[in-house]
Amino acid sequence: MPKIKIDGKEYEALEGETILQAAQRNGIYIPRYCYHPALSVAGNCRMCLVEIEKMPKLQISCSTAAQDGMVILTQSEKVKKARQDILEFLLINHPVDCPICDQAGECYLQDYYMDYGLHKSRFKMSDKIRREKRIQIGDYLTLDRERCILCTRCVRFCEEVTKTNELFVAQRGDHSFIDIKPGEKLNNPYSLNIADICPVGAFTSSDFRFRKRVWFLKTEESVCLGCATGCRIKVQYDENTVYRIMTSPNEHTNTWLCDAGRMTYKELYAEKRLRKIKIDGQEQQGKGLSAVYDKVSQKNPEKTAVILSPYLSVEDNMALYLFARHALKSCRIFLPQLKDRKISDGILRNCEPAANAAAMEIFAKVFSIEIFNPEKAGEFDFVITCKKTADRLHLEKEGLYFSLEDCGLEGILIPIKSYFETKGTFINWKNRAAVTSPAVKNENKFEVWRVLSELASLYGSNLPFENLSELEEICKKEILDGHTH
Amino acid sequence: MKILLEKSAFDIETYLKNGGYEALKKALSMKREDIIEEVKKSNLRGRGGAGFPCGLKWSFIPKTEGPKYLVCNSDESEPGTFKDREIIHKNPHSLIEGMAIAAYAIGAQTGYIYIRGEFARETRIIEKSLAEARSKNFLGSGILGRNFSFDIKVVRGAGAYICGEETALLESIEGKKGQPRLKPPFPAVKGLYQCPTVINNVETLASVPYIVLHGGSAYASIGVGKSAGTKLFSVSGPVKKPGVYEIELGMPFKKFFEEELGGMREGEKLKAVIVGGSSVPVLTAQEAMAANLDYESLQQAGTMLGSGGMIIIPERQCMVEALFILARFYHHESCGQCTPCREGTGWIEKLMKKILEGKGASEDVDNILSISENMMGRTICPLADALAMPAISFIKKFEHEFNAHIKGNCNLCRK
Repeated sequence: MPKIKIDGKEYEALEGETILQAAQRNGIYIPRYCYHPALSVAGNCRMCLVEIEKMPKLQISCSTAAQDGMVILTQSEKVKKARQDILEFLLINHPVDCPICDQAGECYLQDYYMDYGLHKSRFKMSDKIRREKRIQIGDYLTLDRERCILCTRCVRFCEEVTKTNELFVAQRGDHSFIDIKPGEKLNNPYSLNIADICPVGAFTSSDFRFRKRVWFLKTEESVCLGCATGCRIKVQYDENTVYRIMTSPNEHTNTWLCDAGRMTYKELYAEKRLRKIKIDGQEQQGKGLSAVYDKVSQKNPEKTAVILSPYLSVEDNMALYLFARHALKSCRIFLPQLKDRKISDGILRNCEPAANAAAMEIFAKVFSIEIFNPEKAGEFDFVITCKKTADRLHLEKEGLYFSLEDCGLEGILIPIKSYFETKGTFINWKNRAAVTSPAVKNENKFEVWRVLSELASLYGSNLPFENLSELEEICKKEILDGHTH
Repeated sequence: MKILLEKSAFDIETYLKNGGYEALKKALSMKREDIIEEVKKSNLRGRGGAGFPCGLKWSFIPKTEGPKYLVCNSDESEPGTFKDREIIHKNPHSLIEGMAIAAYAIGAQTGYIYIRGEFARETRIIEKSLAEARSKNFLGSGILGRNFSFDIKVVRGAGAYICGEETALLESIEGKKGQPRLKPPFPAVKGLYQCPTVINNVETLASVPYIVLHGGSAYASIGVGKSAGTKLFSVSGPVKKPGVYEIELGMPFKKFFEEELGGMREGEKLKAVIVGGSSVPVLTAQEAMAANLDYESLQQAGTMLGSGGMIIIPERQCMVEALFILARFYHHESCGQCTPCREGTGWIEKLMKKILEGKGASEDVDNILSISENMMGRTICPLADALAMPAISFIKKFEHEFNAHIKGNCNLCRK
């Protein structure tokens, strides 16, 4: 393995590693714009120039291989000067409209200017090249060409990751700009990643635009429930409002995040969100659980089907199972038919749309649960499941449905918390378990497990847990044993 | 001593009468390595501007199976340069023969001539000559009864200066936007269509038949030291006899200027010389008169032999205006990939315009100098240097003219 020296200290580089990578792995940060670890090397921004002994010119560390015996300087006067000069070049035609730019606070022009620039401007304001702003280039993306530094991360993302090739650099020199083929829109299913990887305010999310200054945002690590892939996400929120979902890159599940996944938080603020318990179309005043009990207890348990849901957490499913066993006793328990869990688009989207499908199979195995056959729905008078599972099975039966949204299902609708509002364990397609973290609170909605626990007590049979942590213990023992988080 | 322009041969019959394609016949009876060895021995250096040893370049081509390409750079677009055009006009078959030999030496099956888009007439000449060569089986399959097949395709450029940079040229042949590639990998490893590729200038390739026919040492004995052989200079400006000249490398500029060019025209006085195309630092008349025309001497004089596009600048020419024209050109031609070049060339043009219009201040001149320094050596290709170097030399050597512009009393512009 090549031995190199960076800023006077010796390090070992890995075979095939570039100077930038070797430095970063050893905690030495070299500034960069065009370099992105998941994209090919373009080498055009020239921000990562370093000094290498015996080489007369500065070299770009993003593309220069770390070779045995190299003596590299990342902090020399020559390097510092080069960084300042590159920043000056990048900023001369930049509008410096930070006060109205959404990127402010997470902008590499701002950050590097503070770290490496701090130069006075010697470029005349009136000489700046003006370009088009506020281009709605896709459903989720706004392009500001004045702020673009032409690092081509966006172009390479569309070429190499989505392979949709929408973008290119039009024109030459300082007339260059990012463009899209005439008549096309930048609407590939991963388009919002472009806003993430854009190091400046050129591509911003139209959804997030002008809604919050990023420095107010707090972050919870969580898991995306958009499909069975179970991408790790960052939920960003402030004052009990979720503002955006970002990818949380990791080696096991995902580097990127799809647009649909990023939009899952919209369920929190949907106009159709169910407000209160509804029984036969009537909103219940107060807590309403006794009314729910009154209705459910009239049903013949033998003609009731409890269907576990791949859209609910392991804990909620466990509560549902225990409720069926301990409270309803003679009911039948099912799970829905699942789809193949595999990537459908070569990137992240899974053929199985439910986030907890893998957990269903464990439930099936551990408790010998059979798959619900919609053709035999006629054998039952009453169903207990969640709304999404009912939709998936095309059930139009009277039942007790846990639901985020108001819908036309017959019987009882319980307004539940979203998993942005409560904790729950999900097992992804690769059998990795992850727990959602509640970023926001919503006291007006129910947790599935708590509803079932309280209903069970009305039945006179206490479920074998008092609180969530006891339920989690049961799940750990029965379901999650041996699963990596 | 002339090699390239000694005898002109517009058609293949004349070329054959002049002894044409004898070198190819000889080459095909030689071992490939031996040809490369002769070219190495000849000290032939790339005539496009960079002066890289030609034989060494050929030897980088791996001896593996699979396609290899030979590309002739005929994009001749360096301002002041029109010497390749002369070869195409007067001796097109020397280029084709040189290419066939080079292709045999490196094991290429396909060659490309990438010709500047404005060269419409030259394209017709090349196409005609290629057809002639094919009809005599100097190109095609089983050339001269040997187990060697090679043919040449012509690709016309669309006017971008940057496509004269060899990797941008490859991108352009591949149908992409002409932008220099990041190196390494160098074209010898991954060139055209990701295959090993040699790219040579027209003049370089046209020099090859002589080397094969007379041997590397014969060529090396022409010229001076490491600057071997003859070189074409395309001379423009108010000299008595502008045009294309072939001279042995090492000739003193003074001799060339006085004997070949016949000195300045009546009433003109020499002020400055750009020796090797617009990208190289300018020499004052005094510096030029002391310099010899070869790679090493010109480097010592603080400039470069470059493409041999010699621009003679008379006393009446305002240097501020001249630099403005250069800045405008390089700004227009910057591909825009690298930050320093994309932003720096435009910035310099803006400042130059200001100075030229008499609205400049002395700090603008200082800024041009520091912007040039900040651009130099920090980009993928040398286009940034190609403006920075002239800018620095123009300002340092003709500072008084810039000062005159700032004070508003340039008597050259008013005329």
